Parts: sequence; structure tokens; C-alpha cells
Amino acid sequence: MVRFIIRRLLITIPTILVVITITWALVRLAPGNFYSGEKKLPAAIEKNIREKYGLDKPWYQQYGRMMWAIIGHRDFGTSLKYEGQSVNSIIFRSLPISAAVGLLAYVLALVVGITAGSIAALKQNSKWDHSSMALAMLGISVPNFVLGPILVLVFSLSLYWLPPSRWGGFPSRNLILPVITLAAVYMAYIARLTRAGMLEVLRSDYIRTARAKGLSETQVVVRHALRGGLMPVVSYTGPALAFLLTGTVVVERIFALPGLGNYFIQASLNRDEPLIIGIVAFIAITLLLMNLVVDVAYAFLDPRVRY
Amino acid sequence: MISCTDTSRNETFFGKTVPPERNILRYVTGDEPESLDPAISTGQPEARIYMALYDGLVDYDGKTLAPNPALAETWEVNNDSSELTFHLRHNGRWSNGDPIDANDFVYTFRRALSKELASRNAYLAYYIKNAQAYNSGMVFVRDQQTGKFLLAKDFSNEDANEPVSLKPIAPGTAEYPTSAQRSTPAADSGFHQEMHSPLRLVLPGDEKKRNDRLNQDAKLKSAVAGKEFVPVRAEDIGVEAVDNYTLRISLVQPAPFFTGLLAHQVFRLVNRKTVEQYGNRWTEPNHIVTCGPFKVKTWKPYDTLVVERDPMYWDAATVKLDEIHFYPMADNPSIMNLYKVGEVDAVLNHTVPNAWLETVRTKKDYMDGSEAAIDFLQINVTRPPMNDVRVRKAFNFAIDKEAWAKWRKIVKPLTAFTPEGIFQGYPQPKGDQFNPERARQLLGEAGFPVTKNSDGSFSCPKFPVDKVEYIYNTQESNKAMAEWMQAQWKQNLGVTISLRNMEWKTFLETRSKLDYSGFSRSAWSADYMDPFTFLSLFYTGGESGTGWLDPKYVAMLDEANRMLDPKKRYELLAQAEKYMIDNQPVIPIDTSAVNWVKKPYVKGMYPNPGSLFPWKYVYIERDRAKWDMTAPSLNEELSAQR
Amino acid sequence: MDLESEKRELTEAEDHIESRLNPVDPDMLHVGQEMAVAEGDVDPGPQHEFVRGTSLWQDAWRRLLRNKLAVFGLVVVVLVTIISVAGPTVIKRTLGFTPDYIPSNDPRLVKSFPPFTGPNGEFSWTHPMGTDNAGRDQLARVMQGGQISLFVGIIATLVSLLIGVTYGAVAGYAGGRVDDVMMRFVDVLYSLPYVIVVIVLLSMFRSQTARGQLILLFISLGSVSWLTMARIVRGQVLSLKNQEFVLAARATGVSNTKIVFRHLVPNTLGPVIVYATLTIPQIMLTEAFLSYLGFGVQAPLASWGSLAADGVQNIAIFPWQLIFPGVTMALTLFSLNFLGDGLRDALDPQMRTV
Repeated sequence: MVRFIIRRLLITIPTILVVITITWALVRLAPGNFYSGEKKLPAAIEKNIREKYGLDKPWYQQYGRMMWAIIGHRDFGTSLKYEGQSVNSIIFRSLPISAAVGLLAYVLALVVGITAGSIAALKQNSKWDHSSMALAMLGISVPNFVLGPILVLVFSLSLYWLPPSRWGGFPSRNLILPVITLAAVYMAYIARLTRAGMLEVLRSDYIRTARAKGLSETQVVVRHALRGGLMPVVSYTGPALAFLLTGTVVVERIFALPGLGNYFIQASLNRDEPLIIGIVAFIAITLLLMNLVVDVAYAFLDPRVRY
Repeated sequence: MISCTDTSRNETFFGKTVPPERNILRYVTGDEPESLDPAISTGQPEARIYMALYDGLVDYDGKTLAPNPALAETWEVNNDSSELTFHLRHNGRWSNGDPIDANDFVYTFRRALSKELASRNAYLAYYIKNAQAYNSGMVFVRDQQTGKFLLAKDFSNEDANEPVSLKPIAPGTAEYPTSAQRSTPAADSGFHQEMHSPLRLVLPGDEKKRNDRLNQDAKLKSAVAGKEFVPVRAEDIGVEAVDNYTLRISLVQPAPFFTGLLAHQVFRLVNRKTVEQYGNRWTEPNHIVTCGPFKVKTWKPYDTLVVERDPMYWDAATVKLDEIHFYPMADNPSIMNLYKVGEVDAVLNHTVPNAWLETVRTKKDYMDGSEAAIDFLQINVTRPPMNDVRVRKAFNFAIDKEAWAKWRKIVKPLTAFTPEGIFQGYPQPKGDQFNPERARQLLGEAGFPVTKNSDGSFSCPKFPVDKVEYIYNTQESNKAMAEWMQAQWKQNLGVTISLRNMEWKTFLETRSKLDYSGFSRSAWSADYMDPFTFLSLFYTGGESGTGWLDPKYVAMLDEANRMLDPKKRYELLAQAEKYMIDNQPVIPIDTSAVNWVKKPYVKGMYPNPGSLFPWKYVYIERDRAKWDMTAPSLNEELSAQR
Repeated sequence: MDLESEKRELTEAEDHIESRLNPVDPDMLHVGQEMAVAEGDVDPGPQHEFVRGTSLWQDAWRRLLRNKLAVFGLVVVVLVTIISVAGPTVIKRTLGFTPDYIPSNDPRLVKSFPPFTGPNGEFSWTHPMGTDNAGRDQLARVMQGGQISLFVGIIATLVSLLIGVTYGAVAGYAGGRVDDVMMRFVDVLYSLPYVIVVIVLLSMFRSQTARGQLILLFISLGSVSWLTMARIVRGQVLSLKNQEFVLAARATGVSNTKIVFRHLVPNTLGPVIVYATLTIPQIMLTEAFLSYLGFGVQAPLASWGSLAADGVQNIAIFPWQLIFPGVTMALTLFSLNFLGDGLRDALDPQMRTV
């Protein structure tokens, strides 16, 4: 187990560095720069700006300086577009927002999905089963950028119950629509996963034994079936986090939330190199570490799995 | 479609109209501000925030945008508008209580022009003597033995027609009109006398560039040999604190519009101690020191900037609002949605999307009015076939601007280059009107004959459509405009021009490098309320994105600016404008309208041509009877506000 | 010797975990389990007995037809495809306009009409889905959007298929260290924020031409989804490569390449088809949200995603601009998902739950 963890950690570091290098290369190869305004700048001012940001040195020097700062000091530099704001501070500030929305969405998805999926499995082939699975399929098929605006249309622009966008602090009414929009897909996936897992488990011998022993259905389900049936859900957490991230980007855009995803899109559009690299590196590290955590957790849950 | 019967959602206004519980204003400013440092940013979104936080010599009038006294109580302008003297009030205070004096202005101006700051607005201050030289890092040339500097006029071919500010002060002559209530300082400082001397020769600070320049001009090179190069310092800029409450500014040319320019954010005060102590982190909420009607309370970037009333402000008694919440948002439909649900009280200009106009314009909270801004198409005149003026004129004749204005609904057709109806008394020239016949004729004369087909459409097979394109930056309104223009040319000339859109930054670079063939969508808004802010686009070659630069035009502009009589000046400017339009380096399209919305309970905000608001006069009216039942007029007599 | 077996155990266990840990679709679990089974634990199941009885494909087809939802999915997908491809031409012939026709001669028509509404508010059959802000017929635009969305979905899936199948087959057949390294690489790629890097790529290299944009999309979307395909194929190949027919082929001197591509790969077709059918909607969804954000197709090309992006702008006053492309897209994805589910059920009878 320890060897496994160490191996994974050792792979993580060069991976991140490669990701950073590739991202940096992509940004540099693109045309355009970040300081252009509507009026063409007199040459002297443009020169001032280039000197100020060190853009006049040869590319390998710039690359070297950047990598040294990142590796040596964990310093991703200052945003090019936003004066005086360090990349680290931007990430630090926007992360809680993305995390709040993402985690709430996942928790909601778990609660609703597991419940719906379990019931569907227990009442297999019933109306409930068919309808909830159809609904789940709908959840997977309706894109979040369609669902979100429709929710906004109904609950905000027509009924005036909820704000249509923006972040209102935590907790606030502003969270409701983004969380539901983001959770929809995962609710669906988790319901299906739970149902599949539960069905498999419910057919197995040890459940038959439990029933034969005379345990109540609730006990059978909650104490025995659920543990095994939820395995697929647990193992889905890894990729789910990745998808949650990309889903968050769109949701943050729709609802104008100042989260990591929105900053990332802005940075891409602005060619804000340090910010792009910082966010990409941060996301990569998070994903890799979370995947590791999930794998390790899986080992604890399923005794058959050995590292 | 979305009808309801709640009393707060009456149909007269767009959406819910319930004033906020607290005495605050929630305003959408536009894109996220780059910085709270007023010297740095060029954009309008930042400008509105700076107007709340920082004060300058003068401030924009809420209706006319003319300069009103702010930190300067009175001022005098010399006889040919080349020198200004300001008398500051004595009760100006920073948000931390420190007093404000003329030295703060000197510091601010010098800092704004410093190379290290790399302010994109520095060019606005180039009218000040030695400002451009300092900002560009240039050097004077001094003879070590005599200590004298070489003069620019000795090495240029232009007529020496120097403004009063550069001429030595003859004894006994009144530099300023004598009607001034306060006299200009009698005791003349050495600095002032130094300012009243001809401009010194400047050369590039960079050695290589300097040598290139010298190698081009043998006379210059020989004159320079053996002399030393003295870098232009901040102290050389034509700004002087004559005493603690008197500020004098010397310009390199007559600039009658300069006072109005001083309301711009780059000239608003920054606190020296704070900047020197914290460097570029001075704008952080726990460091920042401001001098405007409001000060920073909290700032969550991409979220909200909350500013609160500053009790130290010299005019704090006038300030009505407790707080302003600035929301940085750029997506117009989202902004309108927030407005509809009542989450914001007013929004920035150009927010109502074209498709919404029919619905929103009928509402009473819609703000209409002309804007000091124009839309036009730039033409790259350096590449064929556009280098032929007949071709350019043909394409101009082929656009029906009236039809365009009808379609866009909120713009006025433009045939010249300055926005219509903005500058009082300016005899705006008329360019060419829509004339498709003439267009086809001209195109034929240029070698691309247009033939009429049997179904009534036209074709022009000889025209090199592969060499011409129309570029624009990606945005729905630009796309619609591009397609519309394309359809016009196809319909009237039989030529199908291909469209190419690109992302904003790529677009700017392509345009400024003249890397395109044909047309580029463009827009320009006034930096200050004078026609020159538009005409100066072609003052140097690089700014216009067209490659058109005509010394005759430049001379016409210079001559106009030398005029002391404003009426004559306007006439000469209009002549220059006509000359430029006749050469057709651009195709003017329209004058924009301001196009925004505000709730009827927001008072003191007017749909002025620049959409800039002196916030201290804005307040929330809770008495329904006193609400603005329509867009407040710009001509309304000022009531209890002053 | 000992080290070797320990290492193999580790590898086996990791394979086992990996396959369990990274299913892309919940029900693919089982197919995945089947496919990525550790060495020596081979139960090929009926789809590999391609010699006996009725052909596997006929069996599967019959099973598919019995699945009502899958049939519904198949029918809808085929219908949508036909309508998207042929629709604009039909409209041009009957009503006279193309998807990008702007009625600029009549300003009254250059605005967004609700569905089935004419210029004066009366009922009209001309625009069943209404018009967009420039007066363009929405139905024609949705069809055109469908062309692009489906086209990108299918081609990008094929790209990912090509890469994934080749990669997985080679890795599985090669085995040992090569397989190890190749799969490590896949693992690493799997845990990266792929879409994020794709966004950076697309934002930096916006292409002006339609062709350029599409090619960029194929490459970037295809390269996001080949990973699981590779895993699946590898697992299949692993389980197949010790079968008699392979040994026989090797004994008769058939080259390795031929073995991999002529013998092994065709036998992986079952799960490959299933997974491909399930990949198409995922790719379409990814393309749609990339276009929605502005990184995918640009004007004048339109896909359902970019139509939705256009439509959402005006949702406060013209909701039909979003609703129609959105519902059409949802319906198509819905059907594709059902079809994929049905195919998986048809090819893997153990999983039958309907």
C-alpha cells in the first residue's frame, strides 16, 4: 500500500510539470497579447509595459524564471491582467466558491441519487423503477447550459423568487439554482449506478441468507445491501470530480459566480499566462491527489483489493 | 409572455421596481476593473469607479460633462490656452484626514507620466510640456561648456509658431486675461521662466534608436557631437506648485479643451505616502487612501466593490448615498436579467441588447440620448484595391446608413466623423449620402465594372474579393453588423466580401499592425468633450488602424488649435474633418445612443453623452410621487443639487 | 522468480482496481469488468463463441429489437439524422429560404418571432420554431446545428475509436513491460484535467475557417475520450490472446500485426460498438458546452451548443430561442443513450434488467 502511494506521488510531480510546460507553450504560441486596448499604444508606452512584465527577455529565460518560481517558491506570479493580484491569492479566494457549489451539488446528488436508485433497485421493473430511470436518463441528456437557464426563466425571471445570477455569500438564496443545475447530471448518474450496484448485490447469496435469517427488509437493505451496492458510487467519485470541475465551469459562467472555473475562462480569453498556468496546475494537482485518495479509500472499503 | 399582477411588477417599468431597503445604490459597472489605481486603466467601467473614489482639479458635470470645480475652486487660462493656473480649495482632505495641497497634484502628474508605471493613459497628458519626452524616456542634449540645451525648433522644418506658453514673458504684457478675480502670482518662479522658453530638442534615450535617428540627419548629428545627453526627469514636466494652493500647468500647444480633459481619471489624485509605502499593493482595501466622495469599504474582485461615504471629503455634506455597490459584469443579457428581478438599480451604457429594444424602449425607465461615440469601419488604405480612393468612396456610397439606423433603432446615421449633436455650435461637415448609382459608377471607374443581371441583382466579377475582407471582434452585435454590411455591398455593388471574426486581443493586434485587407469594424468614444478627441485619431499614423496619414491634415489640425476664438477654431476643425472624410480612410456608420436603464427611484443620474456620473449628487427617492417617470432631461434646471 | 510473480500480482490487482475505479458509465461497469479481467480468469461468455449456433450479431439484433426503449432511441436518432441532413434542402425547396437567410429587405421581418407566428401576430405555418433575432428560421437553424453536432460527434468518436482501439490492442497484446508503461501513461492522462487543457488549446488557436475549427474539435474531442476505449480493448485483448485461435495463428506464422488487427480486434467489436454509441452523446455534450462557452464552433457555423448560447441571451423575452435547440439536443442525446444501453444489453445478456 505504501509503495503504491509513493509510486503515485512520484508520478504526480513530473506530470504536473509537464502539464505546466504544455500549457505555457500553448499560451506562448498563440497570437495576441494581454495589454492591447482599443487605442493603439504609442510605441514608448508599449515598450514600458513589455519591460515592466519582463516580456522583452528571450523565451527560455522567461520559462526558466517561471519554473524556478513555481518549483522553488510555489509562486505562480502575478496576474498579467489584474494589477497587484497574485495568482495564489486569486486561486485562494475563488476556490471556496467553486468548492462550495461543487460539494453541495455532489452531496445533493448523492442523497437524491442513492435514494432514488436504491428504491428503483428494490422495486425493480415497477412504475417507480421505469420512471425514475427515465428521469435519470433525462438528467444525463439535458445539458447543464440548457437546464440552468430554464430554471432561471421559471424561478427567477418569471416568479421573482430567486436571483438569476451572482454570488451572494454563503449561505444564500443565490446558491440554490446553480447547485441544482450542477447536481442534475450527477443525481442521474448516481441513481443509475446505485441501481446497478444494488441489483447485483441483491441477487447475491449473502443477501438471500440475510433474508432467510428473517431480517426485515430495511435491515437487509441498509445494513447489508447498501454497502456492497454503493461500491460503484464510491469508485465513480474519482472521475466524478473531474466532470464536476468542467460542469462547474459552465455553471459558474451561467450564474456569474466568481469561482475558479470562471476565472479560468477569463484568463484563457485574456491570455493571462500566469493565471492560466496557476489554475491548470492547481486543478491537475487536486485531481491527481483526489484520485489517489479515492483509490486508497477503495482499498479500505473492499477487502478483496490489495495493493 | 411573462405577465403578472404583483404591484411591484407594474408594466410601466421593466421588471420589479422596489427601492433597496438601505440607502445604497447597486450599479453594474461593466468588466471587472483592472485596478483601483486611477492612473492605470483606460476603460469606462473603471472610470465610473474612479469618479466615486478620487477627486481631481475638476469634475464632470452630470448633464453636460463640462468641467466643474472640484478640488480647484477657480482657474485662469492664458490668452491662447497654452497655460493654466488653478487655485485650490483649502479644505480638501484625504480619506485618512491628511490635507490636500498643490504638491499632491505635482506628484500625481509626475507619477502618471513615469515610465515605470506604464500607464496606458499617459498620452492624454502629452499636451503638458516635456511630458511626452519624460514618458518616452528621452534625453535632452546639452553643451557641457555653455550649459545650454539644444532647441527643437532649430532642427525642424516647421514654422515656428509657438504658443504663448513657450515664449519668454515679455515685461509688462498680461499673459492672462485681466478679468480674473484672483490674480495670477506676480512673483515669477524660476521654473515658470524656464517653462517660458522654446522646447528643447529631445532624442530617444535608447542608444541604438538614437544613433539611428542621428544617422538619418547629418545636420543633427554634427550639432550633437561632443555634447552630453541629459535624461528628461519628472521635474522637467510643465507642472508647478507655485504655492501650496496654486497649481500651474504649461502646455506645448494651445489646447482649449484641456480643462475638460483634466477631469479624466489619470489626473485624479493619488496619495503619495501610501504609494511610496506599499508600492503596487497600495490599492488593497486595508492600505488604500482616497480623496473622493466615497472610500473603499470592501472589495471582492469579480463580485462586488462596496464603497461608503467618506466623511473627510470636502463636500461630504452633499453626498446623499451611504454606500454604492459596484457589480462588475459584462454580459448584457445577464445584466438585464438582474435589473429585471430588481437586484440592481442602474446599469452601464449600451446594455440593452438590440433584440430587446422593442420591448424595453417602451418602458419608462429606459434611458435614451446621444452619445459622444461613433461606430465606423476602418479601411486599410495601404493595400490594394483599397488604396484607390474611388474604391473606398464606392463602398461608402453603397451603404444605406438611414436603413441601418432604422434597423438598429437607437443610432443616428453618420456621414462624417464627429458624433452628431454632441458639440454645441460645431459646424459638422456632411459626408457623402447613400448613392448606389454613384457607387457603381466609381467602382467602374476604378477598373471594376459592375454589371446588372437579369433578375435585377448586380455582379462585379473583376473585383478581387479574395483580397478584401471584413474583420470584427467576436460579439453578437458585431456579427449582426458585419452581416448587414455584407448584404448591402452584395445588394448594391454585386460584391460579396468575406467576414472574419476573431477574439478581442487578436483583433486589436491585427488591426494595429494593419494585418488585414479591407475593412475593420471600429468604434471610438470621446476622451473629453471636444471634437479634437475624434479628429486626433489621424494625427499620427499609428492610432487609426488605417495607415492613412496626411501632413496637410495634421497641419490643418494644428492651425485650428492655435486659434484663440473658439468659433473660428471649430470652423477650422470642421474643415479638417471634411478634408479627412473626402479622403475616405474610414466609412462612418452611426452615432451611438447611450441605451441603458435605471430604476425610477434613482435620482441625480442623467443620460449624458459619456455616461459618467458625479456620484455625490445621486440619491434614492422613496416618495413614489417624485420618481423619474421618464428619462430625466439634460436641460432641466439645476435645482437643490448645488 | 518471486519478484516476477509479486509484480504480476500487483499489476493484476491494479488492473482490477483501475477497471473498477474508472467506469465512464455506470452500466459499462459490467462490460468493463468483463473486459478488463485479470489474466487467467477468462470466461469469454456467449459473444466470443462465434462459431456455434446462430450468429452472435443476429442474436443481439433480435434482443435489441425486443427492447422498446432502445428501438425508440434508434428510431429517433435515425429520424433526427435524416431530418438534419435533408431538412434544410427540403425547406429551401418548399419555403424558399436557407438556414442563414436574413430577410433584410423587409425590416419588419428582421426580428424574433414566436413559434407559428407571422409578422402581424397571426398564426402561420412558416416558422414552427419561430425565428431568431435576425429573422432566420429556427427550424432550419436547428437542423443545420444538428448537422454539425452529429457530424462532430460521429467523427470525433471515430477518431477516439481509432486511437483507443489501436492503443489498447497493442498494449494488451504486447503485455509485460510495454503494456505496463502504456497503461501507466493512460492512467496519468486519465487523472488530468483534460477538458481544461483543451479549453486552453482551443482558446489559443481559434481558427477562422470552418474546416480549421472542425478539425481542431475532432482532434481535441477525440483525444479526450480514447482513454477508456483503450482500457476496454486492452482488457478484451488480454482475455483473448491466450485463446486457441490465437495460438494457432501464431503457430502458423501469422505476423503479429495481422494477429492484432485481423483476429483480435474484430472480436472486441461488441463492447467497442457499445462504448462508441455511448461516447457519441458524451462528445456531443462536450462539443456543445465548448461551443456554448465560445471555444467550439464559431459563426457562421452553428451547432446545437452555439445555438443554445445564442438563445440563452434572450431567454427573458424570447425563450423559444433556447428551448428548441436545447430540447432537440436533449432528445437526441436521450435517444442515443437509450440506444447505447440497449446495445449493451443486447450484447451482454447477463446484464439484462429490463
